[in-house]
Amino acid sequence: MEISGPEIIFTLPVLGGIPITETVVNSWIVMAFLVIASIFLTRNLQKIPKGVQVLVEKGVSMLYQLVEDTMGKDKIFFAPYIGTLFLFSLCSNLCGLFGLRPPTADLNTTACWALIMFLCIQFFSVQRHGLKARVKSFFEPVPIMFPMNLMGEFSTPVSMSFRHYGNIFSGVIISTLMGGAFAGLTALVFNGLQIPILGIGIPAVLSVYFDLFTGFIQAYIISMLSMVFIANAMD
Amino acid sequence: MFMPLLSAQTMPILSIDWTLVIQLCNTFILFLLLKKFLFKPVKAMIDAREAEVTGLYADANNAKEEALRMKEEYTQSLAGAKEEAGQIVKDACQKAQRRSDEIVLEAQNKASAMLSKAEAEIAQEKKKAFNEIKDEISDIAIMIAAKVVEKDIDQKDHEKLIEEFIDGVGEASWKA
Repeated sequence: MEISGPEIIFTLPVLGGIPITETVVNSWIVMAFLVIASIFLTRNLQKIPKGVQVLVEKGVSMLYQLVEDTMGKDKIFFAPYIGTLFLFSLCSNLCGLFGLRPPTADLNTTACWALIMFLCIQFFSVQRHGLKARVKSFFEPVPIMFPMNLMGEFSTPVSMSFRHYGNIFSGVIISTLMGGAFAGLTALVFNGLQIPILGIGIPAVLSVYFDLFTGFIQAYIISMLSMVFIANAMD
Repeated sequence: MFMPLLSAQTMPILSIDWTLVIQLCNTFILFLLLKKFLFKPVKAMIDAREAEVTGLYADANNAKEEALRMKEEYTQSLAGAKEEAGQIVKDACQKAQRRSDEIVLEAQNKASAMLSKAEAEIAQEKKKAFNEIKDEISDIAIMIAAKVVEKDIDQKDHEKLIEEFIDGVGEASWKA
């Protein structure tokens, strides 16, 4: 057992071989789960809601409310993307609970979301204020601040992607370490027993923090930060 | 932990590679699918319900206003009817009063007319009786005179004389 990057499941024989990693396959699993769950949950919407429809509607209206409160009424069209980002991130983070390597434990995934946010910032701020005002904003409050502003502009997505990736990947590392530690501890305490019985139960408690808590927090943080940065650039 | 049978090839722990591009596509696809299957239909349902509820509330408010307006109308017309009824009763009372006054007045008139008629009749009777008595007295006087003088007095001659006498007596005694 070792701490490693994502496994390569197979390689697409185009462009000199595109490796399809665990990250991508697990993302597909998460996507399939989300899409099937969505179709299942919304297949019979009623005017008078009951059962699970109440929860789905509550969740969707909370999302729209949050986007409206954070970004403003004029940017409500971001709600579906923010919702997608949150659900994708959350389910990816919670993958670890089912023994799958979280797609968010790969910098590519989190960098992809940070890149989308970065492109949204550039596109929508230019669309709202024009290219001239956008360029001018880099020389404010004083022209000497230009390098700092430029660095800040790029450090936003970088820090965002590394934060998310680091949190989830550290969870993976700790889970792996704990697995090894409990196996070793069992062998030590029970005189060479090869079944890690001390690994029953105790890791579950730690998993509540490292997988559930961190998973929720990071999904929330990346959605919140995307909203705040895009809204700031547009206002 | 079971070791994998084949030592799998892995990517580096920290790298940016083709996976970024694939994840971009994945995110975009998931965005489109979730938008189509989750956010749009649910949001549409919420909005439709909200619109319906707003409509229902507006209808309810309109109905309430209508009801209040009708109540006001009824109250007013009821008050009008009460006033009218009072007026009718008052009119009837006045009419009755007038009628009774008329009746009493008429009765009084009739009574006074009857009284004056009776008085006139009495006066006439009195006069008639007076005349009759006068005639009788004159007859008696002639008779007495005839008896006294024992001679045939020319009735026509003396009748005038006696009448004058009686008139003189009558004037003093009857009209007293």
